Amino acid sequence: MTKILFTDKLDNCIERWKSAGRTVIGPVQKNNISTYDTVKSASELDLNLVLPDRSIKELFFPQSEPMLRYTIKKEAINTSEFLPPSGQRIIFGARACDASGLAIDDPLFGWDYKDEYWFQRRNESVIVTIACTKADDFCMCTSLKLAPDSPKGSDIMLRPLENKKGWQVEELTERGREAFKTIADLLQESNEAAAPTITVPEKFDSTACAEWLKKPENFESKFWKEISLRCIGCGSCTYLCPTCHCFDIQDEGDTYNGIRRKNWDSCSFALFTMHTSGHNPRSTQSARWRQRIMHKFNYFPGKFSANSCSGCGRCTRQCPVDMGITETLQEISKLSQ
Amino acid sequence: MSIEQQYRTKAKELLSSGEVKMVIGYGPGSTPDRRRPLFITTPDETDRLVLDSACIANLSGYLVTEGLLSDEKRVAIFLRPEGIRTINILAAEAQLNSDQVVIIGFDSAKNEVTALKGSSTEDFSVLIESMRANTPETAKEELFEKIEKMNPQERFTFWQEEFSKCIKCYACRQACPMCYCRRCIVDSNQPQWINTSAHTLGNFEWNIVRAFHLSGRCVECGNCGRACPVNIPLRLINRKMAKEVMDLFDHFAGTNKTQEPVLASFKKDDSETFIL
Repeated sequence: MTKILFTDKLDNCIERWKSAGRTVIGPVQKNNISTYDTVKSASELDLNLVLPDRSIKELFFPQSEPMLRYTIKKEAINTSEFLPPSGQRIIFGARACDASGLAIDDPLFGWDYKDEYWFQRRNESVIVTIACTKADDFCMCTSLKLAPDSPKGSDIMLRPLENKKGWQVEELTERGREAFKTIADLLQESNEAAAPTITVPEKFDSTACAEWLKKPENFESKFWKEISLRCIGCGSCTYLCPTCHCFDIQDEGDTYNGIRRKNWDSCSFALFTMHTSGHNPRSTQSARWRQRIMHKFNYFPGKFSANSCSGCGRCTRQCPVDMGITETLQEISKLSQ
Repeated sequence: MSIEQQYRTKAKELLSSGEVKMVIGYGPGSTPDRRRPLFITTPDETDRLVLDSACIANLSGYLVTEGLLSDEKRVAIFLRPEGIRTINILAAEAQLNSDQVVIIGFDSAKNEVTALKGSSTEDFSVLIESMRANTPETAKEELFEKIEKMNPQERFTFWQEEFSKCIKCYACRQACPMCYCRRCIVDSNQPQWINTSAHTLGNFEWNIVRAFHLSGRCVECGNCGRACPVNIPLRLINRKMAKEVMDLFDHFAGTNKTQEPVLASFKKDDSETFIL
């Protein structure tokens, strides 16, 4: 016997969570794009997607975040800080790759400086992941030693029933258990079988890739130039990525009044590493693409013992010129043989 | 022989004879329905070239890659009519020497690819003139007509919703062959002219600046809209601007390589009393 959440009870659950003061968020279709957004009822959710176009990271690390307001006068400089809006949230219907992405970024945001903006939202959010029963050509979680039902980063794992009438409930963390206490009476014990999770074929050998990337002689390999020849240098892959976390601090306003903001930034942009002198240590697109791969599969794992990639495949799926991490690592796998 | 095969042979000949140093075309993508830009430099690679109705992207932006044409050697490139117009504009704006560009022209409609005869932009002037005449018919689109009928407030609301999705990844800019500036206005940060934030104001600033910069220059190849990862119907903005420029100045961008850029030229007898 397993605890089951039946789909026809989902509206009651959402009601219950909302009454308990939690905001319910899930995958929705909005303005011709799928994204995670606040919902009032179950009917607004789109749970049939392979995964939303936009990643979960923006719920924790928004593309533009006000940090402080400043006013400068002759006699004094005044600042007032902004903190993220507080409130308990349930993110229902996350994908395992998105949830894993959050767990991958946790050590980064808590490393030398504890990022309050990230952790307040992390601590106030319950991630309810639904194991995948479908995938597309771009999914690659298994190549990163994750899976369509990876528990990483999730508080609750839901496994879709074979008859599609609900989900088996697996409580993974205390935070998840707490959130599901509110709806305990809406769950039923049952023997309903779960549908098999989708098999995502392994597309590259990430261990072999890591070894190749670590070799100093490969830093200058002509491979980098060849693989990134068609890269147009937009930030689409980095901004849709659930683990890319770079940002820039910008003062908006004038010398005397303004708001300091934390905005997404991308290593794909030439400006990213432009020095004040005009010198740019990453002056070519191939150097930028190499940095992105090196960071995700060499430097980040060197520091935090995990790849900075959860295999969602958005980088390739949305790339205007059909590039992406998958092909690059497939080619590196070949080179490392 | 299929057009694909004919053009592979042509590409092979161009490279073998040394007439061009590179062929920019299309290759197979990561899924059966995808095509990707391909850069061929040796005759034996030409079999990798693909040409079918899935080859849509305007590849001409790659021609202005820093240094590519600076050795004065020639490059062959697969182009649809919009792409050929792009070469005219790039030449008119002194971004490239069109004599260095060997056009491998094609068009596609209803899953059918047809070859276009010629190799320099002049060879296609009749075709481009016919495009000018046919623009109003081909540009008809339901959403465009709907927006045209909106009042300013409704239109503002429509674009506000669309721009609220913008993540400022600049895929539109990077995919656009007309956005060749070495340093874009949004990247000019001393001072920061345009807000970098992807909030409502910042997104409006960016998209309006781009619309103005493309007025009278956009050939409606559609690269921007296809590149946009959040599906903003960018082509509609550029179509609107192209229509305005056509109505006001009778200007159809990219008709020939000496065409004056409409918003960057000055006439003493201009009816306007000021310059925007």
